[in-house]
Amino acid sequence: MNPYPLDPYWMVALKALLVVVGLLTAFAFMTLIERRLLARFQIRLGPNRVGPLGLFQPIADAIKSIFKEDLVVERADKVLFVLAPLIGVVFALLAFGAIPFGPPGSFFGYQPWVLNLDLGLLYLFAVSEMAIYGIFLAGWASGSKYSLLGSLRSSASLISYELGLGMALLSPVLLVGSLNLNDLVNWQKEHGWLILYAFPAFLLYAIAALAEAARTPFDLPEAEQELVGGYHTEYSSIKWALFQMTEYIHFITASALIPTLFLGGWTMPFLEVPYLWMFLKIAFFLFLFIWIRATWFRLRYDQLLRFGWGFLFPVALVWFLVTALVVALDLPRSYLLYLSLAAFLALLGAMMYSPKPARKGGGA
Amino acid sequence: MTPWEALALLLLLFTGVLVVTLKNAIHAALALIGNFLILAGIYVALEARFLGFIQIIVYAGAIVVLFLFVIMLLYAAQGEVGFDPLVRSRPLAALLALGAALVLLSGLWGVNLAFAKDLKGGLPQALGPLLYGDWLFVLLAVGFLLMAATVVAVALVQPTRPLDALSPEERKEEKEVVR
Repeated sequence: MNPYPLDPYWMVALKALLVVVGLLTAFAFMTLIERRLLARFQIRLGPNRVGPLGLFQPIADAIKSIFKEDLVVERADKVLFVLAPLIGVVFALLAFGAIPFGPPGSFFGYQPWVLNLDLGLLYLFAVSEMAIYGIFLAGWASGSKYSLLGSLRSSASLISYELGLGMALLSPVLLVGSLNLNDLVNWQKEHGWLILYAFPAFLLYAIAALAEAARTPFDLPEAEQELVGGYHTEYSSIKWALFQMTEYIHFITASALIPTLFLGGWTMPFLEVPYLWMFLKIAFFLFLFIWIRATWFRLRYDQLLRFGWGFLFPVALVWFLVTALVVALDLPRSYLLYLSLAAFLALLGAMMYSPKPARKGGGA
Repeated sequence: MTPWEALALLLLLFTGVLVVTLKNAIHAALALIGNFLILAGIYVALEARFLGFIQIIVYAGAIVVLFLFVIMLLYAAQGEVGFDPLVRSRPLAALLALGAALVLLSGLWGVNLAFAKDLKGGLPQALGPLLYGDWLFVLLAVGFLLMAATVVAVALVQPTRPLDALSPEERKEEKEVVR
């Protein structure tokens, strides 16, 4: 029933290895890129001592974190303390393989994806939910109050934002009528990008994906002003590095998933070069998220939950109902284009609208 | 029974036993996740793919996260602290479990498992019209049941008066009850 060609198993294994190695390399250099960019935003230099332009900094960091002393604190649950970072990394790595990078047969005659599941989106959901257990168990297994608070926060925000995330994805799925990521990309190639049909869903999904990857403004689980280091307070050396790895892999996966779902994936209306556009789109979102981290403030905990339940979820629900109405009544899909445009204009208007607070009862 | 089926059965039973015997509630919840993941694998192997993924997302993901959240919030992970409210009730529990298993087995008696409809490997495209067409009222009834349970749960934890309206002695009592 799956119309896409299949690869031999050795090729799938090879591609899986390639994805893992690629993601780990990308993680190492993303740390450098992020630090350099943050430095740039804050008008300082950033790491530039190790190698030309600081390019060998990740290697130096890797050597340092491998050879540091590896502590297991006394109150820790010994088994889970070791298992937690591994769970996080493994499930984070699993997600990336489902994302298509080009048309069938464009990877030296093989397929440019590792997995092509009919239920690709559900697979991504399942895997990203399981990855939270890494953070969650780490906080508990450390046997420390700060860590426990960090993991409680991560689970509360997961529960709050998972619903909004899923609800935001329902409208593109309804339009396309498939959960397969290749189908989603091909539909966008024919009909135009989904961001045009579902602008609110795109915005909500991007916000919820930030929360899912626990990036600033949603990095409450590791707020260092309040919780020392959050869930990884008691971790050191390579185990700590594994948590960093998990976080960056989530970050990269989210940056790859948003263009796949809403911005046409590897396609482009002009100059079709399969891999180029995908990588450019990923790079754009990585840069955008680093930019947000450099300029935005961290939300307070209750604000985070109120935003998730009070704004994100209801808006996603309303947009889903609108899309469902258009699909159920078989209205022309172009209605959604106009509605998206209206939503965009409403957002712009809301940003422009900042009335001066007026003193009650007159007077200065 | 193929070796794979036997392996899945053994793992299911093993993790199930772990869930009820482990003293630490967090470890028990982890065994529950393992159990759900194996169950999801079995569903996928039985060509019920949508059900398998939903099993992971809803049960192994959301619901066990809620369990863990409550366990961590209440510091309820230790098995050796506090008092045992059910003294010498293990044989009764075993008897009840056996009875429940027998009831479930008797339900299977004479059921024709050959399903007439082609569900295309359990994909939502085939499942949706069935679930929201033929079985719509069953679905609504289940939703209503769940909502009734939620309303009851909310009603149960409501204090008779708002917490800040209680006198100091009453508030102390409330705390005692919670512990």
